[in-house]
Amino acid sequence: MRYAPAILVGRLTRFAARLRKAGGGSAVPGLVVNRIAPNYLKRTLSGFPQGLVVVSGSSGKSTTTKMLVAVLRAHHVDVFTNPSTANISQGLTSALLERADWRGRVPGEMAVLEMDEGHGALVMQGVDARVVTLMNVMVDQIDRFHDSEMVAGMLARIAARANEAVVINADDAYLDRLADKVRADVSVHRFGVSDAVLASAPRGLGYAATTVARVPEAGGVRLVAVDGRSGTIDDHGTHVTVELPARGIHYGVDATAAYATAKALLGERFDAKTAADALSAIPAVFGRGERVRVRDQDVDFVLVQNPASYQLNVDSIEPGTSDILFAIGSDVRDPSYFWPTDASSLGRVSIVSGSKAAEAALMLAYDGVEIDRVEPDLARALDDFLAAPPPASGTKTIVFSADSMRRTRAHLGLTGAE
Amino acid sequence: MTLTIVTLVPSLQNTNGDAENAAVLARRAAWAGLDARVVAVESRADLPEQVDAVVLGSGSDASLERSRGRLLELHDELRRWGTEGVPILAVGTGWELLSWGIERPDGTTVEGLGILPGRAVPRAGARVTEDLVVAERGSGRVLVGFENHARDYVGAEGSPLGRVRAGQGNGRGSGQEGVVMGEVIGTHLHGPVLAKNPFLADRMLSAMADRAGLTYEAGDQARAVDAYAESACRAQIAAAGVADAPG
Repeated sequence: MRYAPAILVGRLTRFAARLRKAGGGSAVPGLVVNRIAPNYLKRTLSGFPQGLVVVSGSSGKSTTTKMLVAVLRAHHVDVFTNPSTANISQGLTSALLERADWRGRVPGEMAVLEMDEGHGALVMQGVDARVVTLMNVMVDQIDRFHDSEMVAGMLARIAARANEAVVINADDAYLDRLADKVRADVSVHRFGVSDAVLASAPRGLGYAATTVARVPEAGGVRLVAVDGRSGTIDDHGTHVTVELPARGIHYGVDATAAYATAKALLGERFDAKTAADALSAIPAVFGRGERVRVRDQDVDFVLVQNPASYQLNVDSIEPGTSDILFAIGSDVRDPSYFWPTDASSLGRVSIVSGSKAAEAALMLAYDGVEIDRVEPDLARALDDFLAAPPPASGTKTIVFSADSMRRTRAHLGLTGAE
Repeated sequence: MTLTIVTLVPSLQNTNGDAENAAVLARRAAWAGLDARVVAVESRADLPEQVDAVVLGSGSDASLERSRGRLLELHDELRRWGTEGVPILAVGTGWELLSWGIERPDGTTVEGLGILPGRAVPRAGARVTEDLVVAERGSGRVLVGFENHARDYVGAEGSPLGRVRAGQGNGRGSGQEGVVMGEVIGTHLHGPVLAKNPFLADRMLSAMADRAGLTYEAGDQARAVDAYAESACRAQIAAAGVADAPG
């Protein structure tokens, strides 16, 4: 009963927010409930009978969370999870409200949550997790995360909330060091890639610092081969082949992380084949992003989140793609940290847009990319880009930061953020 | 002949993309019809025979000692370049390492290489991460960038890069930013400062060309790209609450 009034207010807020703007205002109810019932989030997260699992890190947490949920559900675990856009406090509370009954109780035996590395430490104050899985430390949003030490420190605080196990990417030097510091009664499970897989990544794995040696066969769950969309996981000598949602070593690493976490959670109940089937059933992702049908044409969306994903995603755009819209928004406070990337493979960009259009154009120009037009007004840029005749080669491609993605989706009337 | 721009210890000193200023110099040289290349120097063994300009970016505090160790291998060269007029751009912790030293809050010190006057000292408040707008000393031209540092800088009062219009700069109430000695510049202006402020790049390129017996004149492509820089700077100046446009 304790939370019934707050839940009611939260519901009314959501109703009001949706009247005002269809599909919008999703974080507002959470903001309201967090204000009038500050312990609701903490109590609810701590209340799942089979505990709370948290996935965090700079990159790959959304995909890994999705994969882990699929593997657990395939093992008949009733899982509550958050959409990837709701990984900070208000969004998380809103996501809980979506599923809560009138007393605020959320159904599910286990919660698996993707957690923003910056907000996670705060959200997790006073909340105990069963297992914490950490993906990596990458250079990201310098104005928010000043350097890699700061991100590693935030992840260490999240990891400290684990009371059963910590699952870490042992190829990441920051996380490897962090594993030495967990409490003695908390077990450490490692995952990583083999020498061969690392050698096949010409630009490395994108971590701020990579360990010198790889995880030995007996030391953890390893990604030992990636061939196109097929990945092979070596589970202490047992080889399991999974189909990945798209080409790319990082998807293989995500699958390996999900596999290792599920195994740590399920123990004896874990079945390698069930896990492999569930991982392989994750829907395919096109071109590192998503192919959508808008205004009677196919358009590829490519999301850029940090320098490592930027590089991977730009590299994956088919060379010669003639029509590219490139939009960087206000979420990138200062784009300096993107400068070490190389976008020369794009060759030419039709329109550079977003509130940071000039900064983006400057960076592309120094990469040797030709720019046809700079149009800071994203709505106008989108309209003109989509009204242009079909591309001479490839699919019309929109590369955007998270803020520009939201604005693009809103402008094109696309709902949902996943 | 080919102009050689070296970037020092980029594996440790490129947190904010500052080491990319070397590529900016090379690209602008190419746009001006000059041959130029960037050489990454991680240790003494990588050092090319001829060095026409030097870029040293910023790193994390955790790597200060390691970077210092690598730079010490090049101590003689750094001194010689500084005296001979080889343009050097040092940013953030890279600049701090070229100073007299870095004082930590616990009282310990990282000894600097003594190429630039002054030293980095603990800052009373939180780390500075904001837009930095500076009026250059002498020319009055506006320099725009982003600052991200945990320390102040003292001892540069005699020859700062410029006066702070918005942001913190060297701090401690000095109202100043950076330090300049001959062709050596130390600054808190992070990231692609030479792309954002092309007049500074062109000044370095002219000095390089003069020393090599060449002539540098910015190419047509540079002028087109500089228009992007100007829009980016205008937006940043407006966001920082400074009234006038870049000079």
